[in-house]
Amino acid sequence: MRMPWQRKPAEITLPQSSAAGAAAAAIASASASEETGVIHLQGVECSYPGSDSPAISKFDLLIKPGEFVSILGRSGAGKTTALRVVAGFEQVSSGYVRIGGQLVGSSFVHVPPDQRRIGFVFQDYALFPHLTVAKNVEFGLKDLSSEEKAARIAPVLAMVGMAGYESRYVHELSGGQQQRVAIARALAPDPVALLLDEPFSNLDRQLRAALRRDIKNIVRETGATTLLVTHDREEALATSDRIAVMGDNSIEQIGTPEEVYQNPVSAAVAKLIGPCELIPGVYRGGVVVTEAGVFPTRVTADNSISDGQQVLALMRASELEIDIAGEDDQRTATIELREFEGEFSEYSIRLDSGTLLRVRRRAANGLETGNRVVVSSRDQSKVIVFPV
Amino acid sequence: MTISGVISTGWKSADGKRPPTLLLVSAAAVAFAALIPVAYLLIRSIGVGSEWIDIIWRQNTAAVFGRTFLLIALVTVISVTVAVPVAWLTVKSNIPLRRVLSVASVLPLVVPSFVMATTVIEMYSPKGVLQGWLSGLGVERLPDIYGLGGATLVLVLMTYPYVLLTVRGALRRMDPALEEAARAMGYGPVHTFRAVTLPMLRPAIAGGSLLVALYTLSDFGGVALLRYQTFTSTIMIQYESSIDRTLAAVLSLVLVVIAVLLLMGEGFTRGRGAYHRSTAGSVRVSRRANLGKWRWAGAGVVGVPVVIGLIIPVGVLLHWLIRGLLNNQELLPLLVPARNSLYISLLSAVVTVMAALPIAILAVRFQSRLSRFFERSIYIGFGLPGVVVALSLVFFGINVARPLYQSIWLLIFAYGVLFLPASVGALRSSLLQVSPRVEEAAQSLGKSQWRVIFSVTVPLVMPGAFAGGAMVFLLTMKELPATLILSPIGYRTLSSSIWSAASEAFFAKTAAAALLLVVVAGIPTAYLTLRGHGDNADSSDRSPQVTPVPQAKEGVR
Repeated sequence: MRMPWQRKPAEITLPQSSAAGAAAAAIASASASEETGVIHLQGVECSYPGSDSPAISKFDLLIKPGEFVSILGRSGAGKTTALRVVAGFEQVSSGYVRIGGQLVGSSFVHVPPDQRRIGFVFQDYALFPHLTVAKNVEFGLKDLSSEEKAARIAPVLAMVGMAGYESRYVHELSGGQQQRVAIARALAPDPVALLLDEPFSNLDRQLRAALRRDIKNIVRETGATTLLVTHDREEALATSDRIAVMGDNSIEQIGTPEEVYQNPVSAAVAKLIGPCELIPGVYRGGVVVTEAGVFPTRVTADNSISDGQQVLALMRASELEIDIAGEDDQRTATIELREFEGEFSEYSIRLDSGTLLRVRRRAANGLETGNRVVVSSRDQSKVIVFPV
Repeated sequence: MTISGVISTGWKSADGKRPPTLLLVSAAAVAFAALIPVAYLLIRSIGVGSEWIDIIWRQNTAAVFGRTFLLIALVTVISVTVAVPVAWLTVKSNIPLRRVLSVASVLPLVVPSFVMATTVIEMYSPKGVLQGWLSGLGVERLPDIYGLGGATLVLVLMTYPYVLLTVRGALRRMDPALEEAARAMGYGPVHTFRAVTLPMLRPAIAGGSLLVALYTLSDFGGVALLRYQTFTSTIMIQYESSIDRTLAAVLSLVLVVIAVLLLMGEGFTRGRGAYHRSTAGSVRVSRRANLGKWRWAGAGVVGVPVVIGLIIPVGVLLHWLIRGLLNNQELLPLLVPARNSLYISLLSAVVTVMAALPIAILAVRFQSRLSRFFERSIYIGFGLPGVVVALSLVFFGINVARPLYQSIWLLIFAYGVLFLPASVGALRSSLLQVSPRVEEAAQSLGKSQWRVIFSVTVPLVMPGAFAGGAMVFLLTMKELPATLILSPIGYRTLSSSIWSAASEAFFAKTAAAALLLVVVAGIPTAYLTLRGHGDNADSSDRSPQVTPVPQAKEGVR
């Protein structure tokens, strides 16, 4: 059976300029409109045999054509399961999975992975060790003539910067090179969407950042709709058009990186999206009273908080300020450690109660380890509070 | 300068590490001992001078060659054809009775070849049981069981488990993401199997096929009873019929050459691609394929060799036993032979595994031309018929190691030469699973290389040692010619009891001893099969099994 979004191989073109890229994106979205999305999961539940609780449940996600979406979550949250559900490696027990508007997965329908035209990049690449680089890339092009294959392999490998490695075997490549080949292999058959499962987790930090930028560029060039799964917040923030933050089993919040960072809907999302401390306090008419001090507040999402309610106040290093404590200041803290980072200094502040906060501020000032200080929010900005 | 000095001075392994001298010396000693039978053959043959070409041709050797190779080719191809689907069905599908079937499908391994051959004759010969049943249905005459057909049947039933075991291991080790990657790229299940799974299994199939081919080359009991003349049975006839054993020695030497050719042939199948997992990462256990309504058909495919290779032979033996008991035939006093069998098999297992350790460690950790030579030299033993090894050791015992002669130690020596390859293979794959980084960590903590081997490497390869030991135990239990020739006078084991009872046509005694042997040998085999299972992973598919990644650049056997 040929699904509607499966084009004849002859129609596959590899974009080499941004203009051609736009054209390819237009083709990819031919059957996937803004409303239907390229990938659409509705109330999906999926569990593994022998496990009582589902790995994901009530999972909703709509990805529009050409979008780059990341699923961010701690390990074990079910991120990879969500990705495998889209690819068709896992069968769902309830809910609906649609690709290009077509139902491909539900409790009664399961289109096998080979009929979904999905490009999947595995965490450990899963390159075929018995094949050369060129043969790996060629693997997904089985319906093309040998000239067409050759005409496709060369530009894809060039695009990921692996031209000249065609006859190498996988074990003769470095980790970063294997990753590039894996991406080329996934993109070569011109998939409707590219799924990346923690693609950078096996690489060292520097390589990771460089490769991340490269891949972002490649993906933008091809206009491929992309879904990335990661537990690395930097990765998610830097690459994505939108971030879907996962709690246990389902998505807690989805939005642009800025939206999610500035307005996290819950303490859990806030913790996942950026380094922070959550300290308890009491809400009193627009301010929160905590052991660290009294801060003006704002409330995100539809959390409603009444006077006198117990809350958690979100303390981010870059949004706090410290000053030398006066004689009669009540809530004071001690600078335990100062780390000079050039433009900024980062201070570890021990509250009298024992809680540790981090404050990031401009380097030039006289605050040193051992000083008694008071904490406030920088420029009187409002601190986000969550109901307990 | 000592021998060890000579060996270790010229030594540099591929990654520049120098192995501890004691390890080198012990490996060299083991390899040297394993080559004694070949040395004996050479000594006997040298006296012949240039006449050896005449001797070989006088024997109508070309025809025997042709028959032997035909048998090897047939048995190997059919064994692979049977074993690969059985392996896949028992590892990767949801057939009913999967665990029971996966153990049962390996168990034909425990039936000795001469027992398998007699039961096959009883069942399928022109006067056999099957003919009796079928003549009622109007079938006049079954195709003759004697000759190529019968020999192939017996050997396939006995040897397909070798391929089954290696392929199963490879299937379990294979990263399921490879198959998923193929599925994501538009390959259906069948196409995926052909394009990814099968090529990944190639080294395992080649390794298993090598064992099948070598076994077929050296089998005597099965082919002799089914009247198919191979190289080995020609040699046996020569040994038995003439006082001058030169001819047999020359022919045996040819057999060694064939075994070496087979070993080289397996090396060629490896190619340049790598077969271990391509990158770091944990092995995820894949979900079993749901066969739906074909589940029972799948179980049937696994069931056919189990019925023909295990249930029918055991049934025939039981039938003989009961018939004999009803006719008041006497049973042999089996207690002493059973105890002896158990004792020498355990001893043989322990000694052989200990001898295999230095060879395996050298081959995996300190790869070099010399370590490969050591490893390959012990594989020759597997290609030699038991009778050749045994007679060469008689010569060795009388002329060189007089105190060993007529003691069970010479017998243990023969078993070691014959079964070292089995234990080295198991230790080797177990070693490949242990990251050399772990050993380097121990070394960085101040342990000498030699101490590291004892405190880290050996404990970590214990699973492999047990697997190898269980295999040697089983093979020793079944071994016949070497046991007959080298046992101290009056020392009876289960297999020699079966042989003597069978040659006197005491079916009840034969059956009782054979059944006892099958049961005793079946226990370690069942253990072996269950151990490699990883079946606990069934319930928790998403919790990854963390196993260290093989680091060697060589294909995993």
